[in-house]
Order: sequence, then C-alpha cells, then structure tokens
Amino acid sequence: MGGSMSDRSEDGSRRWHFHLAVSERRGGIIVAGALAAAGALFAWQSSLLDLGNLELPGPGFFPLFLGAVLVAFAAVIGFDCWRSPPGEAVELGHRDVLIAVAALLAVPLVFEPLGAYITLGLFGTVMLVLIARTRLLPAIAAAVVGMAACWFFFQQLLGLQLPTGPW
Amino acid sequence: MTGFDQLLGGFAVALSWKALLYCFIGCLWGTVVGVLPGLGPLAGMTLLLPLTFGLDPTIGIIMLTGIFYGAMYGGSTTSILVRIPGEAASVVTCIDGYEMARKGRAGPALMIAAIGSFVGGTISILGLMFIVPPLAKVMIAIGPSVEVVLILLALSVISVVSAGSRIKTATMVAFGLALGTVGLDKLTGVPRFTFGSAGLTAGLSFAALAIGLFGLSEILLNLEKTETIKAIRPKLKELVPRWKDLKDSAPAVGRASVIGFIFGVIPGVSHVVSTFVSYAVEKRFSKHPEEFGHGAIAGVAGPETANNAVTGTAMIPLLALGIPSIPATAILLSALTIHGVQPGPLLLTDHPEVFWGLVASMYIGNVILLILNLPLVGIFVNLLRIPYTWLVPIILIISIIGVYSVNFSTVDIWIMAISGAAGYLLRKFDYEMAPLLLALVLGDRLEENFRLALTMSGGSYATFADHASLIVLSSVLGLLLVVQALAWAFGYRKSFADEAEGA
Repeated sequence: MGGSMSDRSEDGSRRWHFHLAVSERRGGIIVAGALAAAGALFAWQSSLLDLGNLELPGPGFFPLFLGAVLVAFAAVIGFDCWRSPPGEAVELGHRDVLIAVAALLAVPLVFEPLGAYITLGLFGTVMLVLIARTRLLPAIAAAVVGMAACWFFFQQLLGLQLPTGPW
Repeated sequence: MTGFDQLLGGFAVALSWKALLYCFIGCLWGTVVGVLPGLGPLAGMTLLLPLTFGLDPTIGIIMLTGIFYGAMYGGSTTSILVRIPGEAASVVTCIDGYEMARKGRAGPALMIAAIGSFVGGTISILGLMFIVPPLAKVMIAIGPSVEVVLILLALSVISVVSAGSRIKTATMVAFGLALGTVGLDKLTGVPRFTFGSAGLTAGLSFAALAIGLFGLSEILLNLEKTETIKAIRPKLKELVPRWKDLKDSAPAVGRASVIGFIFGVIPGVSHVVSTFVSYAVEKRFSKHPEEFGHGAIAGVAGPETANNAVTGTAMIPLLALGIPSIPATAILLSALTIHGVQPGPLLLTDHPEVFWGLVASMYIGNVILLILNLPLVGIFVNLLRIPYTWLVPIILIISIIGVYSVNFSTVDIWIMAISGAAGYLLRKFDYEMAPLLLALVLGDRLEENFRLALTMSGGSYATFADHASLIVLSSVLGLLLVVQALAWAFGYRKSFADEAEGA
C-alpha cells in the first residue's frame, strides 16, 4: 500500500493531494475480506433467529444460507487474489473523491438540525470551492441561487416539505 | 374490449398534457445522461426515481421509461462525435460512427443512428404489445414454485452472460439477495438485521441503494478522470443522408431489429450484447467487410437499431412475469411497487391504464426523440463543454433531496452515501453492480415464494419439479449451474497448471 501527500498542480500553485494506491492483489484481498465479513455478519445474526428446518424454513434460514455462500465465494476470490501477481496499482485516494464522500457523509448529520436548504447550500459551496475550484464568493452566490431554485421546484411545484431547521 | 381499443385508451392517457410533458422531460433527461459520458440510463433513472413518487404511477413510469430509451438515443451522439460512448450499449457505434465523423460524414451517421433507433424501438414496442397480453394470461395460473425457478433462472443467466468474473458476479448476486432480507420478514413479521433502527424495518431503501451503487459510484469514478473532450460539430444541413446511405442501412436496420428483439428477453446485459452481435452479423453479411472499422454506415445502423430494439422487449419479462431482466427494468419495478402497482400477470387486468399508457407513450416518446435529437444535436454536444465538476454538486443535491423524500429519513442519506462509497470500491476491483441490484429487487420475492411453496407442499422439494413446465425450467436451471461450476473449476485448474508451468 503506498500513500503520499504531494502537491504541485499544473498551474504551479500548491494544492493538497493525497495519493493512496494499493496493488490489485492487496486491494482484491481487502475487498474480498470485507465481503466475507459482511457474509459472516449475516450468518451470525441469522443464527440468532428461528431457522426452522429444511422442510419449513424460518426467517433465519435464507439469510444464514446466503451469508454462508457469501463467505465461501469471498474466500475463493480472496484466495485467487492471494496467489495472483501484484498487478497494477489501483488509486483509491483521489482528492476529489475523498472530499465528495466526506461531504456526503456530513450531510445526514446536519440535514435536520440545520435544515435542508442551509445544509445543501453549504454542501454545494464546499463542492464548488474544493472540487470545481471556484472562488468562494461566486460559489456562495451559485449555492444561494441553486437553493432558491430547489425551494421553488421541490417545495412550491412538487409540494415537498423538507426540514427547515430551527428557523 | 379488444387490444386495439385498449391501445386507443392508452393513447388517450399518453396524449394528456401531463403525460406528454413528463414523457418529454424523460426523453430530454435521458438524452442528456446518454450524451454525458459516465451518466448512463441507470444513473439517469435512479437520480430522478424519487421525483416520480409524487406523480400518478402511469405518468411516473412514462417518465422513467423515457429516460431509459432517451439515453439509448443520446449515447450514440457522443460515440459518433467524440468517440466516447455515452453508455455501454454505444461502445460499438464508436468504431464506424467516429470514423464517419472524421471523414466529414457525422451528419448522416447521426441521422441513420436516429432512424435506426426509431425503427428498432417501434418494432420492439409492437412485440411488447402482442406478446405481453397472451403471456400474462398463461402466467396468471403459475404458483410460487414456478416463480422461484424463474427468478433463479434469471439470476443464473445474469451470472453466465456477465462480462466480468463469474465468481465475482455470483458473489454480487448473493450479496444482493442477502441485503434484500434486511427488514421485517414478510411471512412472520420478525425484524431482521435492523439493529433496533426503525428506519430499517421496511428494509433498505431501494432508491437510496440504487442511487448510491449506480449513480454515486459512477460520479466518484468520473471525478478521477481529467481528460478534456473535443467534439466534431456537424451542421444541420449536413444531417441529410444520401440515398445510398439509406439503401445500405435498410437491411442492417431490419436485421438488427430482429437481433435486438430476440436479445431483449435475455437477462443481464442484453442491450450491450445485442450491439456486438449485430455488428458481427453486419460484417458477415456485408459485401465489403473491409469497410468495417473505417466508416461503414451499416456498422452504425446495426448496433444503434439493436440497442433500441432491446428497450421494448426488455419490458416483456417485467410486465408479463413481474421479473426484471436488466437493471433499468428493476428500477421500473421498484417505481411501480412504490406506487402500489405490482407488475406481472395481473397488471393487465388490475391496472390496464398503466400498461397501455406505457405502450402508447413509448410510440410517442420515439417520435419525440427523433424530433429532439436531430435539430438539437449541436446543443447536446455543447453539454460536453460544461465542466463535469460543476455538474457534480447539482446531481448530488438532487439525489440527496430525492432520496430523503422517499421516507423522510436521514437513514436513507446514510445508506446512499455508504453504498456509493462501497460501490466505488467494488467497481474499482471489477465487481459489477447490475447483478447486485437485480438480486436485491428479486430477493424478497424469491425467499417469500420459496418458503410459501414449501409450506403449500408440506415441505416437499418435489414441488419445484411437479409438472412439465417446471421440470423443463428446473432442468435448464440445473444445467446452467452445473456448466457454470464446471467452467469455473476448469478455469481454476488451468490457471493453477499455467502457474506451475511458469514456475
């Protein structure tokens, strides 16, 4: 696994970059491991439910079977990756991808407390500044116009009531 | 009431101002997502799926279907002018379409693609109209055991025809089926994997998962690309094809309509496979096969006709059996189910207005697309000038609002964000999302019917092979599974042998 924080952009300005790359083999094993873990979770939680029997399966039967299948398939994929050559490096830490995912994960935290339009306005501003590399003031202006358009379309035209926050 | 009367009734629905408006919006949005590289019909449909919840089911389904076939039309534009397929089904069109454009013949290529799409689309709608009603009548009599075998068959075919690794596809199917078990068990009411969250008792939101796995993961992958796009821009007067172009394309359009029609019912990647088959057939039938790859018009007409002929026939399993065969129809199934309309054999008797309205709107949509695509091709090409990073916030904000509006729960925004990140990672390592989505949609019905069939038969597995049709279907299913297992095992052994030889 290789990681670095380098940063000279094409226009010469210094920008934050984070490169995280894994080999195809290592990444494949990690993903297969994650799938096996998901399968194991399904199997374990299902085993706590009524399994019934082969003739009359209970609510735990089907997910237990699927969890076991998932673990088995993931193990085969993981083993296959383990014995394969390292392969090409797969980049996982693209700056814009990380920003987009982080911003998206922040949205549900403040969506109801702050209100939909404030949250999405902030989200839009962050995305425009950090990903589209727009300057702050035009980004804020675009976000305000965008939110007004959303309010008109979703609330006025479609009658959709989104959280308004404390205001 | 005859089929013709019902079709007229359908036109009455589809020609209402509201249906026309939403059909137009669907076609326009579909063309836009088809033109923009990286946003295919699935992302386009999932992103607008939540907006249909406030609409009448017929109108909602008309709009979503418009996006589906609109994207097929739009995909050809970028293939021909930029050599970037707007969506997977347009990959083959790049070969001869772009070569024609380089030789100054972009206009005829676009025109022939549009005409072929129109003809293929129309023929497949005719097929849909004539096949679904009698098939639905037969399927009304089927019990849960037949449904189990049909669903398993569909999922197995997807694993076989899938372009990627078989074991990875099978893993995605198992994962999708497992995710489908989250929520209350339909037969006993026992909550499963909800971890005390009220937001999960109704199961994982399909809209949130579909937008995350398809739309969001696609956006994240596209954020990594930085290349600029240079497009060839034809003038309106250059669009008119020569008589020779029409003559050379006509047989290709006819053959591709049949190919697309046949491939449309095969689950999985029918629209992509049909284009490759059509291209190969045209090359074989051509008197000048050496022209293929250097701007042969039949190499554009065939694949473009085939991928649009698939759109109508892909609806047949959904509307007659209630089983989606491709991800796009899985989204339609989800939209209909949310509106309380269950696609399947009873659709024609319980909701004839939905079926006939949809059929009629597809005819109208094809005309709208023909009118929309040719004169506005310049505008659509200009869309490629908008920096992708500006589109991303707009698309994501619409997605967040849409996902939240399904259940008014922030849990769904979490699901969308997490499944988007997971989809991005899985796709990085060549896992396909389509089998996961189809399995997710079909999972609860598979389990419910499996347990119901066993309960009705007193626990006897013979219920899955107790009459002729079931024996045939079960045998095909068994054969598919055995062939797949053998293919995987032999492939595995060979790679071990190669490795040993290399060492």
